[in-house]
Amino acid sequence: MHAVGALEAGICKYILISYGHSARSGGGMSQVLSRMAGDDAVFGHFGAAAGYALAARRAMHEYNTGPDTWKHIAVGQRKWANLNPRAVMYDRPMTESDYERSPWIVEPFRLADNCLVTDGGRAFILTTAERARDLPHPVVTIMGLGMHNPAADPVAARHLTGPTGARRAGEQAFHMAGITLEDVDACEIYDCFTYTVEITLQDYGFFGPGEGEEWFRGGTIEPGGRTPVNTSGGLLSEAYQMGLTPLTEGVMQLMGRCGDHQLGPATGNIKPEIILCSDNGGILQTHACCILRRN
Amino acid sequence: MTYSKPLPVPGADTKPFWDGCREHTIRIQRCKACGHLRRPPASVCPRCLARETEWVEMSGRGTVYSYVVYHVAYDPSFKEDLPYVVALVTLEEGPRILTNIVECDPAAVHCDMAVEAIWKDVTDTVSLPLFRPAS
Repeated sequence: MHAVGALEAGICKYILISYGHSARSGGGMSQVLSRMAGDDAVFGHFGAAAGYALAARRAMHEYNTGPDTWKHIAVGQRKWANLNPRAVMYDRPMTESDYERSPWIVEPFRLADNCLVTDGGRAFILTTAERARDLPHPVVTIMGLGMHNPAADPVAARHLTGPTGARRAGEQAFHMAGITLEDVDACEIYDCFTYTVEITLQDYGFFGPGEGEEWFRGGTIEPGGRTPVNTSGGLLSEAYQMGLTPLTEGVMQLMGRCGDHQLGPATGNIKPEIILCSDNGGILQTHACCILRRN
Repeated sequence: MTYSKPLPVPGADTKPFWDGCREHTIRIQRCKACGHLRRPPASVCPRCLARETEWVEMSGRGTVYSYVVYHVAYDPSFKEDLPYVVALVTLEEGPRILTNIVECDPAAVHCDMAVEAIWKDVTDTVSLPLFRPAS
Protein backbone atom coordinates (compact mmCIF):
# COMPACT_ATOMS: atom_id res chain seq x y z
CA MET A 1 0.00 0.00 0.00
CA HIS A 2 2.91 2.33 0.77
CA ALA A 3 4.47 1.38 -2.55
CA VAL A 4 1.29 2.28 -4.43
CA GLY A 5 1.31 5.63 -2.64
CA ALA A 6 4.93 6.26 -3.63
CA LEU A 7 4.14 5.48 -7.28
CA GLU A 8 0.97 7.59 -7.30
CA ALA A 9 2.85 10.52 -5.76
CA GLY A 10 5.53 10.22 -8.42
CA ILE A 11 8.24 9.63 -5.81
CA CYS A 12 9.25 6.31 -7.41
CA LYS A 13 9.04 4.76 -10.86
CA TYR A 14 9.75 1.12 -10.04
CA ILE A 15 9.62 -0.44 -6.61
CA LEU A 16 11.26 -3.75 -5.71
CA ILE A 17 9.52 -5.51 -2.84
CA SER A 18 11.63 -8.35 -1.54
CA TYR A 19 12.07 -10.78 1.31
CA GLY A 20 14.92 -13.15 2.11
CA HIS A 21 15.74 -15.11 5.23
CA SER A 22 18.02 -17.97 6.29
CA ALA A 23 15.20 -18.87 8.65
CA ARG A 24 15.94 -22.59 8.69
CA SER A 25 19.73 -22.90 8.49
CA GLY A 26 20.35 -19.73 10.50
CA GLY A 27 17.75 -20.46 13.18
CA GLY A 28 16.61 -16.86 12.81
CA MET A 29 12.90 -17.55 12.95
CA SER A 30 12.99 -19.32 16.31
CA GLN A 31 15.14 -16.50 17.74
CA VAL A 32 12.65 -13.89 16.57
CA LEU A 33 9.69 -15.79 17.99
CA SER A 34 11.30 -16.57 21.36
CA ARG A 35 12.23 -12.89 21.85
CA MET A 36 8.56 -12.04 21.32
CA ALA A 37 7.51 -14.16 24.33
CA GLY A 38 8.39 -11.63 27.07
CA ASP A 39 6.91 -12.57 30.43
CA ASP A 40 4.70 -15.20 28.73
CA ALA A 41 7.84 -17.38 28.78
CA VAL A 42 7.38 -17.69 32.53
CA PHE A 43 4.37 -19.93 31.81
CA GLY A 44 6.12 -21.82 29.01
CA HIS A 45 4.27 -19.86 26.31
CA PHE A 46 6.41 -19.28 23.23
CA GLY A 47 6.09 -18.56 19.57
CA ALA A 48 3.28 -18.06 17.12
CA ALA A 49 1.79 -21.56 16.95
CA ALA A 50 0.44 -21.44 20.50
CA GLY A 51 -1.03 -17.96 20.02
CA TYR A 52 -2.97 -19.04 16.95
CA ALA A 53 -3.83 -22.32 18.69
CA LEU A 54 -5.45 -20.32 21.52
CA ALA A 55 -7.59 -18.54 18.91
CA ALA A 56 -8.40 -21.81 17.17
CA ARG A 57 -9.35 -23.59 20.41
CA ARG A 58 -11.79 -20.84 21.33
CA ALA A 59 -13.25 -20.99 17.81
CA MET A 60 -13.77 -24.76 18.30
CA HIS A 61 -15.75 -23.91 21.44
CA GLU A 62 -17.87 -21.21 19.82
CA TYR A 63 -18.73 -22.96 16.56
CA ASN A 64 -18.13 -26.10 14.57
CA THR A 65 -14.47 -26.18 13.59
CA GLY A 66 -11.36 -28.15 14.43
CA PRO A 67 -9.10 -30.80 12.90
CA ASP A 68 -11.93 -32.16 10.70
CA THR A 69 -12.01 -28.77 8.97
CA TRP A 70 -8.28 -28.09 8.98
CA LYS A 71 -7.32 -31.46 7.46
CA HIS A 72 -9.00 -30.41 4.20
CA ILE A 73 -6.74 -27.34 4.13
CA ALA A 74 -3.50 -29.19 4.94
CA VAL A 75 -4.23 -32.03 2.50
CA GLY A 76 -5.59 -29.76 -0.25
CA GLN A 77 -2.58 -27.46 -0.20
CA ARG A 78 -0.22 -30.43 -0.18
CA LYS A 79 -1.80 -31.58 -3.46
CA TRP A 80 -0.84 -28.24 -4.98
CA ALA A 81 2.71 -28.56 -3.59
CA ASN A 82 2.97 -31.99 -5.21
CA LEU A 83 2.54 -30.22 -8.59
CA ASN A 84 5.20 -27.60 -7.77
CA PRO A 85 8.86 -28.74 -8.02
CA ARG A 86 9.98 -25.64 -6.07
CA ALA A 87 7.85 -26.64 -3.09
CA VAL A 88 9.64 -28.04 -0.05
CA MET A 89 6.94 -30.74 0.14
CA TYR A 90 6.91 -31.53 -3.62
CA ASP A 91 7.86 -35.18 -3.09
CA ARG A 92 5.81 -35.69 0.07
CA PRO A 93 2.13 -36.50 -0.57
CA MET A 94 -0.22 -36.30 2.43
CA THR A 95 -3.50 -38.16 2.91
CA GLU A 96 -6.19 -37.39 5.47
CA SER A 97 -4.96 -40.30 7.59
CA ASP A 98 -1.39 -38.94 7.35
CA TYR A 99 -2.80 -35.69 8.74
CA GLU A 100 -4.57 -37.50 11.55
CA ARG A 101 -1.32 -39.30 12.46
CA SER A 102 0.72 -36.09 12.42
CA PRO A 103 2.09 -35.44 15.94
CA TRP A 104 0.64 -32.77 18.21
CA ILE A 105 2.80 -29.67 18.52
CA VAL A 106 0.59 -27.31 20.50
CA GLU A 107 -2.81 -28.97 20.67
CA PRO A 108 -5.21 -28.42 18.88
CA PHE A 109 -2.49 -27.98 16.20
CA ARG A 110 -0.63 -30.93 14.77
CA LEU A 111 2.66 -30.62 12.90
CA ALA A 112 0.63 -30.64 9.65
CA ASP A 113 -1.27 -27.52 10.76
CA ASN A 114 1.98 -25.53 11.00
CA CYS A 115 3.73 -23.67 8.22
CA LEU A 116 7.27 -24.47 7.14
CA VAL A 117 10.45 -22.68 8.20
CA THR A 118 12.35 -22.08 4.98
CA ASP A 119 15.56 -20.55 3.63
CA GLY A 120 14.83 -18.48 0.57
CA GLY A 121 13.66 -15.27 -0.95
CA ARG A 122 10.89 -13.73 -3.01
CA ALA A 123 10.53 -10.48 -4.84
CA PHE A 124 8.26 -8.62 -7.19
CA ILE A 125 8.39 -5.28 -8.95
CA LEU A 126 5.62 -2.72 -8.76
CA THR A 127 5.22 0.11 -11.23
CA THR A 128 2.40 2.07 -12.81
CA ALA A 129 0.09 0.25 -15.24
CA GLU A 130 1.19 2.67 -17.96
CA ARG A 131 4.88 1.76 -17.57
CA ALA A 132 4.11 -1.95 -17.13
CA ARG A 133 2.35 -2.10 -20.49
CA ASP A 134 5.60 -1.06 -22.23
CA LEU A 135 7.47 -4.01 -20.66
CA PRO A 136 7.83 -7.38 -22.41
CA HIS A 137 5.97 -9.47 -19.78
CA PRO A 138 2.24 -9.95 -19.17
CA VAL A 139 0.86 -7.31 -16.82
CA VAL A 140 -0.89 -8.01 -13.53
CA THR A 141 -2.74 -5.08 -12.02
CA ILE A 142 -3.99 -4.31 -8.53
CA MET A 143 -7.79 -4.02 -8.54
CA GLY A 144 -8.32 -3.51 -4.84
CA LEU A 145 -6.43 -3.08 -1.59
CA GLY A 146 -7.58 -3.15 2.01
CA MET A 147 -5.89 -3.06 5.37
CA HIS A 148 -7.22 -3.42 8.89
CA ASN A 149 -5.17 -3.89 12.03
CA PRO A 150 -7.10 -4.86 15.19
CA ALA A 151 -3.70 -4.76 16.94
CA ALA A 152 -4.78 -5.74 20.47
CA ASP A 153 -2.63 -8.22 22.38
CA PRO A 154 -4.25 -11.70 22.34
CA VAL A 155 -4.80 -11.36 26.10
CA ALA A 156 -7.13 -8.42 25.47
CA ALA A 157 -8.32 -9.26 21.96
CA ARG A 158 -11.95 -9.71 21.02
CA HIS A 159 -11.12 -10.70 17.44
CA LEU A 160 -9.55 -14.11 18.06
CA THR A 161 -12.56 -16.04 16.72
CA GLY A 162 -13.49 -13.38 14.17
CA PRO A 163 -14.18 -11.02 12.78
CA THR A 164 -10.44 -10.53 12.39
CA GLY A 165 -8.89 -7.71 10.39
CA ALA A 166 -9.80 -9.72 7.28
CA ARG A 167 -13.45 -8.57 7.51
CA ARG A 168 -12.85 -4.86 7.01
CA ALA A 169 -9.72 -5.24 4.89
CA GLY A 170 -11.71 -7.52 2.57
CA GLU A 171 -14.65 -5.11 2.40
CA GLN A 172 -12.28 -2.26 1.48
CA ALA A 173 -10.53 -4.28 -1.22
CA PHE A 174 -13.76 -5.56 -2.80
CA HIS A 175 -15.26 -2.08 -2.71
CA MET A 176 -12.20 -0.64 -4.47
CA ALA A 177 -12.19 -3.48 -7.01
CA GLY A 178 -15.93 -3.21 -7.67
CA ILE A 179 -16.35 -6.99 -7.68
CA THR A 180 -17.90 -9.66 -5.45
CA LEU A 181 -16.67 -13.00 -4.11
CA GLU A 182 -18.26 -14.75 -7.10
CA ASP A 183 -15.79 -13.00 -9.42
CA VAL A 184 -12.75 -14.48 -7.64
CA ASP A 185 -11.10 -17.34 -9.56
CA ALA A 186 -8.56 -18.38 -6.89
CA CYS A 187 -7.26 -17.31 -3.49
CA GLU A 188 -3.71 -17.05 -2.17
CA ILE A 189 -4.20 -16.80 1.58
CA TYR A 190 -1.52 -16.18 4.21
CA ASP A 191 -1.49 -19.60 5.90
CA CYS A 192 0.86 -19.57 8.88
CA PHE A 193 -1.49 -22.21 10.27
CA THR A 194 -4.44 -24.09 8.78
CA TYR A 195 -6.87 -22.20 11.03
CA THR A 196 -5.63 -18.90 9.55
CA VAL A 197 -6.93 -19.99 6.14
CA GLU A 198 -10.34 -20.88 7.61
CA ILE A 199 -10.81 -17.68 9.61
CA THR A 200 -9.57 -15.49 6.73
CA LEU A 201 -11.91 -17.03 4.12
CA GLN A 202 -14.73 -16.94 6.71
CA ASP A 203 -14.18 -13.26 7.38
CA TYR A 204 -14.02 -12.50 3.65
CA GLY A 205 -17.50 -14.04 3.49
CA PHE A 206 -16.97 -17.33 1.64
CA PHE A 207 -18.86 -19.13 4.43
CA GLY A 208 -20.26 -18.43 7.88
CA PRO A 209 -18.83 -19.45 11.26
CA GLY A 210 -19.00 -23.21 11.59
CA GLU A 211 -19.66 -23.76 7.89
CA GLY A 212 -16.01 -24.21 6.95
CA GLU A 213 -15.92 -27.99 7.27
CA GLU A 214 -18.72 -28.36 4.74
CA TRP A 215 -17.25 -25.66 2.45
CA PHE A 216 -13.78 -27.24 2.34
CA ARG A 217 -15.05 -30.83 2.09
CA GLY A 218 -14.85 -32.56 -1.31
CA GLY A 219 -11.70 -30.93 -2.63
CA THR A 220 -12.99 -27.34 -2.89
CA ILE A 221 -9.50 -25.80 -2.69
CA GLU A 222 -7.58 -28.58 -4.48
CA PRO A 223 -6.53 -28.88 -8.14
CA GLY A 224 -9.80 -29.04 -10.06
CA GLY A 225 -11.76 -27.63 -7.11
CA ARG A 226 -14.30 -24.84 -7.43
CA THR A 227 -12.22 -22.32 -5.40
CA PRO A 228 -8.50 -23.12 -5.65
CA VAL A 229 -6.58 -21.90 -2.60
CA ASN A 230 -2.81 -21.61 -2.12
CA THR A 231 -1.93 -23.05 -5.49
CA SER A 232 1.83 -23.27 -4.85
CA GLY A 233 1.31 -25.27 -1.66
CA GLY A 234 1.42 -22.08 0.37
CA LEU A 235 3.32 -21.47 3.57
CA LEU A 236 2.19 -24.89 4.79
CA SER A 237 3.70 -26.89 1.93
CA GLU A 238 5.68 -24.71 -0.48
CA ALA A 239 7.85 -22.29 1.51
CA TYR A 240 7.56 -19.70 4.26
CA GLN A 241 8.33 -16.35 2.70
CA MET A 242 6.01 -14.19 4.79
CA GLY A 243 3.21 -12.53 2.79
CA LEU A 244 5.26 -12.80 -0.38
CA THR A 245 4.47 -16.52 -0.74
CA PRO A 246 0.77 -15.81 -1.41
CA LEU A 247 1.27 -12.50 -3.25
CA THR A 248 3.98 -13.66 -5.67
CA GLU A 249 2.02 -16.85 -6.39
CA GLY A 250 -1.01 -14.75 -7.29
CA VAL A 251 1.09 -12.64 -9.66
CA MET A 252 2.78 -15.70 -11.22
CA GLN A 253 -0.55 -17.46 -11.75
CA LEU A 254 -2.02 -14.44 -13.55
CA MET A 255 1.16 -14.11 -15.66
CA GLY A 256 0.84 -17.79 -16.59
CA ARG A 257 4.27 -18.74 -15.23
CA CYS A 258 3.37 -21.61 -12.88
CA GLY A 259 4.28 -24.73 -14.90
CA ASP A 260 2.57 -27.91 -13.70
CA HIS A 261 0.53 -26.08 -11.07
CA GLN A 262 -0.63 -23.39 -13.50
CA LEU A 263 -4.39 -22.96 -13.09
CA GLY A 264 -6.07 -23.92 -16.35
CA PRO A 265 -7.20 -26.99 -18.26
CA ALA A 266 -4.25 -29.07 -16.96
CA THR A 267 -5.35 -28.67 -13.33
CA GLY A 268 -9.07 -28.82 -14.16
CA ASN A 269 -9.60 -25.14 -13.35
CA ILE A 270 -10.41 -22.11 -15.44
CA LYS A 271 -7.58 -19.83 -16.49
CA PRO A 272 -7.69 -17.17 -13.77
CA GLU A 273 -8.63 -13.55 -14.40
CA ILE A 274 -8.90 -12.42 -10.76
CA ILE A 275 -7.01 -13.67 -7.70
CA LEU A 276 -7.56 -12.66 -4.08
CA CYS A 277 -4.43 -12.50 -1.88
CA SER A 278 -4.08 -11.97 1.86
CA ASP A 279 -1.41 -11.29 4.46
CA ASN A 280 -1.63 -11.11 8.22
CA GLY A 281 0.69 -10.50 11.13
CA GLY A 282 1.01 -10.87 14.87
CA ILE A 283 -1.62 -13.18 16.33
CA LEU A 284 -4.28 -12.10 13.80
CA GLN A 285 -3.39 -8.49 14.72
CA THR A 286 -2.74 -7.07 11.26
CA HIS A 287 -4.36 -7.87 7.92
CA ALA A 288 -3.89 -6.83 4.32
CA CYS A 289 -6.01 -7.88 1.35
CA CYS A 290 -4.99 -7.44 -2.29
CA ILE A 291 -7.11 -8.30 -5.32
CA LEU A 292 -5.14 -8.84 -8.53
CA ARG A 293 -6.28 -9.15 -12.14
CA ARG A 294 -4.72 -10.24 -15.40
CA ASN A 295 -3.97 -7.31 -17.76
CA MET B 1 17.70 -26.40 43.89
CA THR B 2 17.93 -23.43 41.56
CA TYR B 3 14.93 -22.57 39.41
CA SER B 4 15.85 -23.17 35.75
CA LYS B 5 12.81 -21.75 33.94
CA PRO B 6 12.45 -18.18 32.62
CA LEU B 7 11.64 -15.56 35.24
CA PRO B 8 9.59 -12.39 34.72
CA VAL B 9 11.48 -9.23 33.81
CA PRO B 10 9.35 -6.54 35.48
CA GLY B 11 9.20 -3.23 33.67
CA ALA B 12 7.67 0.10 34.66
CA ASP B 13 4.20 -1.07 33.59
CA THR B 14 4.38 -4.64 34.91
CA LYS B 15 6.26 -4.29 38.23
CA PRO B 16 3.12 -3.67 40.36
CA PHE B 17 1.59 -6.88 38.97
CA TRP B 18 4.63 -8.97 39.89
CA ASP B 19 4.96 -7.22 43.26
CA GLY B 20 1.35 -8.26 43.92
CA CYS B 21 2.09 -11.84 42.94
CA ARG B 22 4.86 -11.92 45.53
CA GLU B 23 2.12 -11.18 48.09
CA HIS B 24 -0.15 -13.80 46.48
CA THR B 25 -2.61 -11.30 45.05
CA ILE B 26 -3.55 -10.68 41.43
CA ARG B 27 -3.50 -6.92 40.90
CA ILE B 28 -4.89 -5.38 37.75
CA GLN B 29 -4.66 -1.80 36.53
CA ARG B 30 -7.84 0.28 36.73
CA CYS B 31 -8.21 3.58 34.92
CA LYS B 32 -8.94 6.33 37.42
CA ALA B 33 -10.82 8.30 34.80
CA CYS B 34 -13.19 5.70 33.32
CA GLY B 35 -12.80 2.68 35.61
CA HIS B 36 -11.74 0.30 32.83
CA LEU B 37 -9.76 -2.70 34.09
CA ARG B 38 -6.95 -3.31 31.66
CA ARG B 39 -4.51 -6.06 30.88
CA PRO B 40 -1.82 -6.24 29.56
CA PRO B 41 -0.54 -3.34 31.70
CA ALA B 42 0.00 -0.06 29.88
CA SER B 43 0.73 3.54 30.76
CA VAL B 44 -2.37 4.84 28.95
CA CYS B 45 -5.96 3.60 29.14
CA PRO B 46 -6.91 1.99 25.79
CA ARG B 47 -10.54 3.13 26.27
CA CYS B 48 -10.18 6.80 27.23
CA LEU B 49 -6.43 7.55 26.92
CA ALA B 50 -6.18 8.81 30.53
CA ARG B 51 -2.84 8.25 32.27
CA GLU B 52 -4.06 8.20 35.90
CA THR B 53 -4.17 4.64 37.09
CA GLU B 54 -4.51 2.52 40.23
CA TRP B 55 -3.93 -1.17 40.95
CA VAL B 56 -6.81 -3.17 42.36
CA GLU B 57 -6.94 -6.68 43.77
CA MET B 58 -8.83 -9.44 41.93
CA SER B 59 -10.64 -12.33 43.61
CA GLY B 60 -8.56 -15.00 41.88
CA ARG B 61 -11.65 -16.69 40.44
CA GLY B 62 -12.34 -16.98 36.75
CA THR B 63 -13.13 -19.17 33.76
CA VAL B 64 -10.98 -20.63 31.00
CA TYR B 65 -11.44 -18.50 27.85
CA SER B 66 -9.13 -20.69 25.78
CA TYR B 67 -6.28 -23.11 26.31
CA VAL B 68 -3.64 -25.10 24.46
CA VAL B 69 -1.69 -28.22 25.36
CA TYR B 70 2.04 -28.06 24.69
CA HIS B 71 3.46 -31.34 23.41
CA VAL B 72 6.80 -29.78 22.43
CA ALA B 73 9.21 -28.01 24.79
CA TYR B 74 10.24 -24.79 23.00
CA ASP B 75 12.49 -24.15 26.02
CA PRO B 76 14.22 -27.27 27.38
CA SER B 77 13.39 -26.30 30.97
CA PHE B 78 9.74 -27.18 30.28
CA LYS B 79 10.48 -30.67 28.96
CA GLU B 80 9.71 -32.33 32.31
CA ASP B 81 6.24 -30.72 32.32
CA LEU B 82 5.04 -32.06 28.95
CA PRO B 83 2.20 -32.19 28.18
CA TYR B 84 1.33 -28.91 29.93
CA VAL B 85 -1.54 -26.44 29.58
CA VAL B 86 -1.26 -22.72 28.82
CA ALA B 87 -4.56 -20.88 29.12
CA LEU B 88 -6.19 -17.49 28.86
CA VAL B 89 -8.32 -17.15 31.97
CA THR B 90 -11.08 -14.53 32.12
CA LEU B 91 -11.11 -13.22 35.69
CA GLU B 92 -14.58 -12.73 37.17
CA GLU B 93 -13.91 -8.98 37.23
CA GLY B 94 -13.42 -9.03 33.42
CA PRO B 95 -9.78 -8.89 32.32
CA ARG B 96 -7.91 -11.90 30.99
CA ILE B 97 -4.63 -13.31 32.20
CA LEU B 98 -2.21 -15.78 30.61
CA THR B 99 -1.38 -18.66 32.94
CA ASN B 100 -1.04 -22.43 33.36
CA ILE B 101 -3.86 -24.78 34.38
CA VAL B 102 -2.48 -27.25 36.93
CA GLU B 103 -3.79 -30.02 39.17
CA CYS B 104 -5.91 -31.18 36.22
CA ASP B 105 -5.51 -33.75 33.43
CA PRO B 106 -4.91 -31.67 30.24
CA ALA B 107 -7.61 -33.74 28.52
CA ALA B 108 -10.14 -32.58 31.13
CA VAL B 109 -9.53 -28.84 30.63
CA HIS B 110 -12.28 -27.11 28.64
CA CYS B 111 -13.36 -23.62 27.64
CA ASP B 112 -15.57 -21.82 30.20
CA MET B 113 -14.38 -24.18 32.97
CA ALA B 114 -14.39 -22.51 36.41
CA VAL B 115 -10.89 -22.09 37.85
CA GLU B 116 -9.21 -20.49 40.87
CA ALA B 117 -5.74 -19.06 41.43
CA ILE B 118 -3.06 -20.89 43.36
CA TRP B 119 0.48 -19.69 43.94
CA LYS B 120 3.80 -21.17 43.02
CA ASP B 121 6.74 -19.61 44.85
CA VAL B 122 9.59 -20.19 42.41
CA THR B 123 12.29 -18.01 44.02
CA ASP B 124 12.55 -15.87 47.15
CA THR B 125 11.18 -12.90 45.21
CA VAL B 126 8.98 -14.41 42.48
CA SER B 127 5.59 -16.10 42.80
CA LEU B 128 3.57 -17.21 39.77
CA PRO B 129 -0.23 -17.12 39.58
CA LEU B 130 -1.38 -20.51 38.30
CA PHE B 131 -4.96 -21.79 38.12
CA ARG B 132 -6.66 -25.08 39.00
CA PRO B 133 -10.25 -26.30 38.70
CA ALA B 134 -12.45 -24.38 41.15
CA SER B 135 -13.13 -26.23 44.37
